[in-house]
Amino acid sequence: MLYTINNASIGTNNLESLSQVCPKNSPILFFEDGVYACKSNTALADKVLVLLEDHPVYALLEDVKARGIEPLIEGVKTVDYSGFVELVEGHDVVPWLRN
Amino acid sequence: MDKVVVLLRKAPYGRVYTAEAFRTIMGIAVFELDICVVFMDDGVFALVKNQDPEKLDMKPLGDGFPMLKDFNVNRFVVHDKSMADRGLSADNLVLDVEVANSAQIAEIFDTYKKVLPF
Repeated sequence: MLYTINNASIGTNNLESLSQVCPKNSPILFFEDGVYACKSNTALADKVLVLLEDHPVYALLEDVKARGIEPLIEGVKTVDYSGFVELVEGHDVVPWLRN
Repeated sequence: MDKVVVLLRKAPYGRVYTAEAFRTIMGIAVFELDICVVFMDDGVFALVKNQDPEKLDMKPLGDGFPMLKDFNVNRFVVHDKSMADRGLSADNLVLDVEVANSAQIAEIFDTYKKVLPF
């Protein structure tokens, strides 16, 4: 299953709850405000580094660029909209949605 | 002169709050109120340099804030811990800001009395 996460704001536990559920080797895609979690040197960076040990981690490029996020945590791969579509074609999706 | 704080606490894209805060600031500025714009929590992301939301079919929201000085909005305050937690420093922001700790922000609320939340 592909886990997609749209928000991991500091002070929420959305990333933590995803980590608890998401099985080893399942790919995780950060999109919308979720991409902020992939920025280096933040209070969330350690949690993403832990995820990188067991999962392919992707960030949606268009959302990264929109928000001026740089640099990304090393190991996080960016995918553009077409890459997002390819991932969704290749997997069933668990949307870890938070509004 | 009346004083008011406009408080931004949400990330800039995906919802209307930041754009509406901006519009509100412009609207208030016309009435020559003393405005202090405070950025806390994910609100600090509104001021990050090099936002490029063209693919989201939006304008970079950060670019508007420096322009507010032309409307005599001159006080921009950013919460130090919110910035640090997000790996940001004043150098990463689109305009010169006052960096304040939590107690100083509480003092600002105390001084201005009226706080508009976004």
